[in-house]
Amino acid sequence: MPTFLHPALLWGLLIAGVPVLIHLINLFRHRRVPWAAMEFLLISQRRNRTWVLLKQLLLLLLRMTAVAVLVLMLTHPRLPTQWGRFLDGQPVHHIVLLDDSFSMTEQQGGSQAWDRAKAAVERIARDASHSSRPQTFSLIRFSQAANENSGKPDLLDESVRGDFLDRLSDHLKELDCSETSAGPLPALEGIERWLGADSSDQRIVYLLTDFRTNPWAEPGDLKPLLQGLSRSQTGLHLVPCVDRFQPNVAVASLRPDEGIRAAGVPFFLDVAVTNHGDAPLNEVVVQVQADGQARPALRIPRLPPRQTVADRIPMQFALAGTHVVQVELDSDAVALDNHRYCVVDVPAELPVLLIDGNMEAEDATYLSSALRPGGAVVTGLTPRIEKPRFLSQNTLGSFSAIYLLNVERLEDSAIKALEQYVAAGGGLCVFLGPRCAASFFNEKLYRGGTGLFPVPLTGQEALLVDRLEKTPDMQVTDHPIFRVFSGQRNGFLGTVSISRYFATVDPLPESAHTSVEVLARLRNGAPLVVERQFGKGRVVAFLTTAGPEWNNWTRGNPSFVVTMLELQAYLSRPAVEKKPALVGDDLTVSYDASLYQPQVRWVPPVTKAIDPSATEATLQDNGTYNAILQAAPVSGVYRAEYSAKDGGHGDQPLAVNIDPEEGKLDLVDGPALAAALEGVDYRYEPVSTFRYAEEELEGRDLTDVLLYALIALLVLEQLVAYWVGDHPPRTVEKGGDA
Amino acid sequence: MPDSKRFLHPDAIKRISRLDVRARQIVEGFLAGMHRSPYFGQSVEFLQHREYVAGDDPRYVDWKVWAKQDRLYVKQFEEDTNLRCTLLVDVSASMRYGAGALNKYEYGATVAASLAYLILRQQDAVGCVAFDDKARTLVPQRTRRNHLDSILRSLEISAPRGKTDVYPILHKVAETYPARGMMVLVSDLLMPREPLFRGLRLLRRRGHDVMVFHVLDDDELDFPFDGATRFEGLEADGELSCNPRALRRGYLAALGEYLEEVRRGCVRYEVDYALLRTSQPLDAALAAYLSNRLGMHHRN
Repeated sequence: MPTFLHPALLWGLLIAGVPVLIHLINLFRHRRVPWAAMEFLLISQRRNRTWVLLKQLLLLLLRMTAVAVLVLMLTHPRLPTQWGRFLDGQPVHHIVLLDDSFSMTEQQGGSQAWDRAKAAVERIARDASHSSRPQTFSLIRFSQAANENSGKPDLLDESVRGDFLDRLSDHLKELDCSETSAGPLPALEGIERWLGADSSDQRIVYLLTDFRTNPWAEPGDLKPLLQGLSRSQTGLHLVPCVDRFQPNVAVASLRPDEGIRAAGVPFFLDVAVTNHGDAPLNEVVVQVQADGQARPALRIPRLPPRQTVADRIPMQFALAGTHVVQVELDSDAVALDNHRYCVVDVPAELPVLLIDGNMEAEDATYLSSALRPGGAVVTGLTPRIEKPRFLSQNTLGSFSAIYLLNVERLEDSAIKALEQYVAAGGGLCVFLGPRCAASFFNEKLYRGGTGLFPVPLTGQEALLVDRLEKTPDMQVTDHPIFRVFSGQRNGFLGTVSISRYFATVDPLPESAHTSVEVLARLRNGAPLVVERQFGKGRVVAFLTTAGPEWNNWTRGNPSFVVTMLELQAYLSRPAVEKKPALVGDDLTVSYDASLYQPQVRWVPPVTKAIDPSATEATLQDNGTYNAILQAAPVSGVYRAEYSAKDGGHGDQPLAVNIDPEEGKLDLVDGPALAAALEGVDYRYEPVSTFRYAEEELEGRDLTDVLLYALIALLVLEQLVAYWVGDHPPRTVEKGGDA
Repeated sequence: MPDSKRFLHPDAIKRISRLDVRARQIVEGFLAGMHRSPYFGQSVEFLQHREYVAGDDPRYVDWKVWAKQDRLYVKQFEEDTNLRCTLLVDVSASMRYGAGALNKYEYGATVAASLAYLILRQQDAVGCVAFDDKARTLVPQRTRRNHLDSILRSLEISAPRGKTDVYPILHKVAETYPARGMMVLVSDLLMPREPLFRGLRLLRRRGHDVMVFHVLDDDELDFPFDGATRFEGLEADGELSCNPRALRRGYLAALGEYLEEVRRGCVRYEVDYALLRTSQPLDAALAAYLSNRLGMHHRN
């Protein structure tokens, strides 16, 4: 049976009797004509009585039908779908895929897209509850689907009966938008994962999202999934929850720079701010807090549209330990990406191991002076000068970097310890000298490219002095350790004179090309400083001495001190950067298993109303506990707390940030979406006007069909009326003339 | 329309209230429009030659033929007598219908008056019978010029009424005027055909030359009505409420059959027939009359 959107208007069908009434009234409103030739009129009437009666009856029926069709059209009747007609009572399964990525928190027109989407979910369920057919309901949030450990969705195939609407309403009230950047792909895949590919129910999928350019401008993997829905006769409704683009400014990144960090040592925090709008912004203020205390704000004088501006925030911590830095922008369309958090580990000092092959340790003394100049200059570095055998007799993990200076040879155990140290992320620097033998370096340290040393050596060479030559002896590249000299006239570097060095195989072996980088060359083009990555760590080799024996760089040239401090910062930073944690990522802490208990209590950010959770750490081979918090749900600073075996406790803060790309609020409008989703059968309706899938719920809307039927009826009525003679002819046909 | 006939149109004639003036206007206007009138100014008309036999008056010997053929022929002439014409005018109720300038009665009366004027002008005798179910007035045949007044009076006083019953009228006319003459019937012929044809046959058998002027209104011929209409019979034929457009085709078919029947009946009994629309110029009737007068000698 058809259903009607406005059933009260069905009373209007009584109007269909009006043509009969008009006909009856006309019977009493005849024009009277005295007539002589009645004979022929009566003959005509006698001959055509039946036919005329039938035609008039047909005309009357057409008029009554036209009025009835008009009234029915106004009631918006709906005919059950084909499935509904043949399988009356077939259940309808409403599957709502709800975008809860944080871009849905965009403020627009006094409300958030998230709130509008939740209201639409309620409307869908409420309208479904009015249907006479069995209805089931599933609600899958994007963030749920993206998190493999999240378990089942909030609502899965629940019958829309009883107190379902109340439960849904309560659930939606408690539901907050996530801080993830989860996309629609996992949610669409979740349909099959949780509900199966095939179903006897009639499925309707509602995709309530903001349709940002990422990923909808180029749907990629989404399109086959959506086409699959079309193929399986699943209704698809795309419901955009945002109707216009708004500019947005986001903190793209915040992290310490590559300098040495230690208590009392000033360093910089690199911050990047992105303008996702189309207009430039002036005087963008970045508020800075360190350990909850406000620090001087950073002012960015101009932020061009669609660009990211990087700047540096000066920072210094007097005390050693982990410190939390937070930056914040003024509020705009999306609040979450105006914040960014960073945890800075500031040790009291950085121990550095200097291994000198010479008994006098002359080279180590020069280098030590450069790393810890003394006086008012605080570098945070604590150089320790040792002999080569120290390497095999002690653990090296506590040193931030190790320097080998003019070492003649090393024991195999020392080489192994060094390789383990570097492979684990340590930094190693090698200075050569007269005690070094090329054969040892090639056989033990280079080992055909598999060892620590970056290049094979051929032997010592002297750099001939040419007084007419104006080119400096040392020519550096744009590498972090020399970057401080870039863009300036390298006055000090230009005075460096190299008299002797170790030559390398020229050209370098094929295997070395990909992993070895030449950081500086001599005047004659021979490599002077080379680098290679080994495991997670780095090895930098200077093919000359750290002392003044083969060059004058170390003696009184300020560029040596600067370069060595940059080198130390570079070496102490792991070669493989740890990816900053984003919302939804797993958080991992490691701590000494000998000192602490395995139970870890995770305290979420204090600003977020989330209860702490506890996990059990697992013992690792290296004697540490590893504890993991799965899928950090919000941004901010988490704290992993664990108890010490002696009654004390330890903790580690961890910063979790939102994905800054989600703050890009560009929209894909209806036509662009239609072009991108060509071949996908769907309906597109803004959330403001979207109510529910009328066609699928109640069948096909017959309004259009009735409109066409009405037009056809009116045309037919005119033709029949002319045929019957209800309309005056345009010209009177002459007849009967003699 | 020639300028001389401009005043013969019913719209123009309607403005003339007196029937005699109407008649004169029509006849004079009609004659003025003809270039030559071969029918007037001859009292004796040559009919044929016959071979001379003993006893024939030698005055009628055609000496010109004798001179050419050397044989004697005498000329024979048509009898030199006056025409005796009777105008039979239908004044029944059905003649009241008319949506144009003149209704059928007015049109028929004007036609009759015009014919009377024309006939009297030719020094012939004319009489008039106005009838419905019986003879309402009967004016004998006379040749005097002032006889026109009697005829016109008989037409003017006869307001249409009653139902047409034509056979008794024609029978009475045949009895009243036994001498051969011309009978001109002006009627809408909305009457049973059998008595009509019987009456016409009777007149023809009595040697009368018969002319029928069939007067019908445009509405009756075209049936242009639309909208819900109640038709009420003028001669107590009942009434009919209908949508005229629905019945028009059938009406016109029935009318066509009727006109064909009338035409065939007239042909069968050698009755001259002319269908006149009340919107037609009135000289059509005169033209038909004169055409008939030309041919009647050859028919008898």
